[in-house]
Amino acid sequence: MSFEVKRKKEVVTEPKIQFSWKEAKRQKSLLIWSGIILIYGIIFYYLPLGGWLMAFQNYRPIDGLFRSRFVGLEKFQQLFSDATFLRVIRNTLAMGVLNLVVTFIAAIVFAILLNEVRNAVGKKTVQTISYLPHFLSWIIVTGIIHDALSGTGIVNDLLMNLNIIDQPINFFAHKEYFWPIVAFANVWKETGWNAIIYLAAITSIDPSLYEAAAIDGAGRWAKIKHVTLPGIRPTIMILLLMNVGNVLNAGFEIQYLLGNGLVQSVSQTIDIYVLNWGISQGDFSLGTAAGIFKSVVSIVLIVIANQIAKRNGDERLF
Amino acid sequence: MKAKRVTGMLLVSALSVSLFTGCGGGSGENEDGTKEFTAFFAVPGAEINDDNEIQQIIAEKTGVKVDETWLTGQTASEAVGTLIAGGEYPDFIDGGDAMGQLYEAGALVPLDDYLDDYSNIKAYYSDEEWNKLRQDDGHIYWIQQFQNIKGEEKATTQNDEAFWIQARVLEWAEYPEVNTLDEYFDLLESYIEANPTMEDGTDNIAYTILCEDWRYYCLENPPQFLDGYPNDGSVIVDPDELKIIDYNTTDTAKRYFQKLNEEYQKGYVDPESFTQTYDEYIAKLSTGRVLGMVDQWWNFAFNVHDSLKQQGLDKKGCTYVPLPITIDKGIKNQWHNSGGALNVGSGLAITTSCEDVEGALQFVDDLLGQDIHNLRFWGEEGVDYEVDENNLFYRTEEQRTQAADTAYKASHLCTYSYFPSYKGTSDDGVNANWPDEQPGEFFDSLNSSVQKCFEAYGVDTYVDMLGTNEAPGPWYPMYSFSNAMTTSTPGGVAWTKMGEIKHEYLPRVVMADDFESEWNTYMDSYDGCNPQAFLDEMQAELDRRMEEAAKFE
Repeated sequence: MSFEVKRKKEVVTEPKIQFSWKEAKRQKSLLIWSGIILIYGIIFYYLPLGGWLMAFQNYRPIDGLFRSRFVGLEKFQQLFSDATFLRVIRNTLAMGVLNLVVTFIAAIVFAILLNEVRNAVGKKTVQTISYLPHFLSWIIVTGIIHDALSGTGIVNDLLMNLNIIDQPINFFAHKEYFWPIVAFANVWKETGWNAIIYLAAITSIDPSLYEAAAIDGAGRWAKIKHVTLPGIRPTIMILLLMNVGNVLNAGFEIQYLLGNGLVQSVSQTIDIYVLNWGISQGDFSLGTAAGIFKSVVSIVLIVIANQIAKRNGDERLF
Repeated sequence: MKAKRVTGMLLVSALSVSLFTGCGGGSGENEDGTKEFTAFFAVPGAEINDDNEIQQIIAEKTGVKVDETWLTGQTASEAVGTLIAGGEYPDFIDGGDAMGQLYEAGALVPLDDYLDDYSNIKAYYSDEEWNKLRQDDGHIYWIQQFQNIKGEEKATTQNDEAFWIQARVLEWAEYPEVNTLDEYFDLLESYIEANPTMEDGTDNIAYTILCEDWRYYCLENPPQFLDGYPNDGSVIVDPDELKIIDYNTTDTAKRYFQKLNEEYQKGYVDPESFTQTYDEYIAKLSTGRVLGMVDQWWNFAFNVHDSLKQQGLDKKGCTYVPLPITIDKGIKNQWHNSGGALNVGSGLAITTSCEDVEGALQFVDDLLGQDIHNLRFWGEEGVDYEVDENNLFYRTEEQRTQAADTAYKASHLCTYSYFPSYKGTSDDGVNANWPDEQPGEFFDSLNSSVQKCFEAYGVDTYVDMLGTNEAPGPWYPMYSFSNAMTTSTPGGVAWTKMGEIKHEYLPRVVMADDFESEWNTYMDSYDGCNPQAFLDEMQAELDRRMEEAAKFE
């Protein structure tokens, strides 16, 4: 017989905070430093938002922000009636979601596996080597990837020698391969780095929990499932929330460097569209309009994700 | 504990000082009184060393040194667009295709009031030519640096586009007449059947194509030449009726792509053509494995031929020579036009960030003087070239090899290549302004395989291989207008969309198993971009140029 204990969701009211000058004086240095950061935030993050005005004008650098002609939503109309832009949104979302899912799983799996390694020296070496690619710039990484996947590169050599294929495959000429290649590039570069946070979270799990699990007869796999994973769940949720907002920033460098004419219908992202149709054409209004679109969508995504987390009683951002 | 604190403070101060390394002057005066200017050119190029010897000599003579930077990893429009967004410019700039954007942004200084003060600059162009450089507001903002021929023209290299072939292929076939597309590919096929690999065992590649970004003219613009028209770049101009013809949809275009498709299916076209980057393409050419391609001389010859020379491959016949190819026999080709093409779309300009416009113009004026001009292109007398008793300049074999060496070029030679220069004949009436146009020097500096090739065809220069033609008309070249188009006009929008469609479909058309159906899909998408808007805008520009020219008759 198993009882299901229903826990009533208690509504916790937090006590109202009283503001007192005495308290403020005691926390003077905290307030001053927060004030400085607040001013910094306003100047560098909120003031530039005034530039959003450009998206509603026909901005010309020679007229400046206040004298360019006002055109209302014309630029947005131009964007959304362009089939290329809609396709580009699809590409960005697809690559963004794919990257998110794949790098997430890879980082968590890697962290857990690394945690299980007993040999301390081996563990440190593997961890150090794993996060080195994070410091390489994308130019280098895409150069390596472009070379490795070329007709005479390592991958084709391997496949030919194993007799899996008899003609080298030109990976960059086929649209189906592009998104997986981008996802792989992200995994290769960022897994080690992303795993650091998870490893730190794992080490902060109370060891007595493991002992309790061992007493209950849990093997290694069961320990991971019932102690480690739930233990890092708050970390996972927060990082997931933060990265959901970043889904539309699927990247510019990889797609710019690895893309070509043949795969352009799947490789171009919103940033590349802005480059081709905005900056290169001197049409800064269009670029700003696309940027506003990205910001709005990202905010909406974060708010939704945050609400979902709130309803599940999980950690949330706000 | 005190030591720890002191080290801490020292580190903090060292770090904070490093914050200021980012700040620095751009132009200014050096300690020894030479002025320094900055320059940016929106084309790829190699920077010279800071202690470059000839740059120092020029600095002593003119009192000015210019720090040049080049385009890396971007297109001209992207780089210039970013500069405009930032609002800070170098003193000199050549924005290439994006010159118009700089003008629109108000970044350039009008030069016409200064022209009369500088005799060399004023003499650089005739009044009619200066007039062509005027913008909508009537002022002149930039000076086009190239194709300006002083005195007698001494054209030796085919500086433009052609179907290139390695000299060894021609030698093996005993220097046949190759005039059509079919003959060209037949020759490549038979050579590669007989010689599938190089000496060291690496495979030969019959034909490769560069399609990266703006360089995809290697794939898309031969149809205009194959019909016997000159390089107007984006359209054909019928010289009799003065009408614009779209070379993308002609029958010749379809036949050309069909031929490429056949060759691709047979395996003679490099399968990596459509995904290779420019660097990979140049590296491939430098290995000497590629038998033939379509390209423009300035895009590959400087890197590749020097590299082949350093590896000794030029002696094995890997140097490229052009072939006079058209779609059918009997069509007169116009691969080469004499007289230089005045590309009014771009040039050297001075920006509003320059604090000393007169000093800058004085420097440009000095660079056009014959002494400094010789320093730029021939080098130092006695070190880079010798003078014989008839005052003729020549180079010894070591000097020629030296001049091809990349390290030597960076440390010693300073051409200020994107500043105005002359081709043609020097003021002394004897020598050419550029060493590779000096007839005797040119022929002697050719490697033996090319010399044999020229002798077999009865020619003296690369240009003679193709034949030369007069400039087709005052509108030439139309590409100076289409390069500067932006999406602010319907024609510009059509042009940008056409570019995207061609980038995607032309490779597919060449690789397709079913050429006809792929070509039809391509044509449908092509029509969907409204190319007529683009052609109409070009026609309007053609008419305008003819009107302007009529004023000077």
